[in-house]
Amino acid sequence: MPEINFTIDTQTGEMEMKVEGVQGPQCADVAKIVTELTGAPAIEENTREFHARPCVKPQVQGKKNA
Amino acid sequence: MSKYLTFPEVAFKDRELLIAALEEIGCKEIKQGKELELGRYYTDQLQQTVEIVIPRGRIGNDYGDIGFERTAGGDYRPIMDDLDRRRALNGGFITRLRAAYHELVVKKVAARLRGTVHRTVEGGVVKIKVRY
Repeated sequence: MPEINFTIDTQTGEMEMKVEGVQGPQCADVAKIVTELTGAPAIEENTREFHARPCVKPQVQGKKNA
Repeated sequence: MSKYLTFPEVAFKDRELLIAALEEIGCKEIKQGKELELGRYYTDQLQQTVEIVIPRGRIGNDYGDIGFERTAGGDYRPIMDDLDRRRALNGGFITRLRAAYHELVVKKVAARLRGTVHRTVEGGVVKIKVRY
């Protein structure tokens, strides 16, 4: 299940966010929702999951005999 | 010296969340409008127009009003008297506002994703997990 971990430091008011469980650039969609409300982040790093591509197995269907 | 300072490094993008965050940290009187003038209580306080005003004396801001100007990019940036930086909410106005605003951002993101929220506090750090 995808999750976002937010950390807010009450001493500075700064927030950090980490998106987990989302492979590939889809996590950028989540980040976009946040940056619409906060503005561009001071630091942005892509995790290993960002570079992973969802594993899609090709489906091959045999031709049905007429 | 008493004078109004703008905080260019602090920006709030969403007006609705900014107002809610101001209420959250105890600002009971918030004026909203176009080209509202910040009060000039001392000669060094230059004329400033803003869209949101917390009147003088409400949250320890004894030297002047606190305002939020809207930038060309649509962000809201705080303006307050130099001497009120250490007075408004005992010097914690900006940090408490940012923390409250960010908590509201998380709530809004969770609602958009139809996610569940789990919030914990460890020392001075608020940790919020949103599952969707």
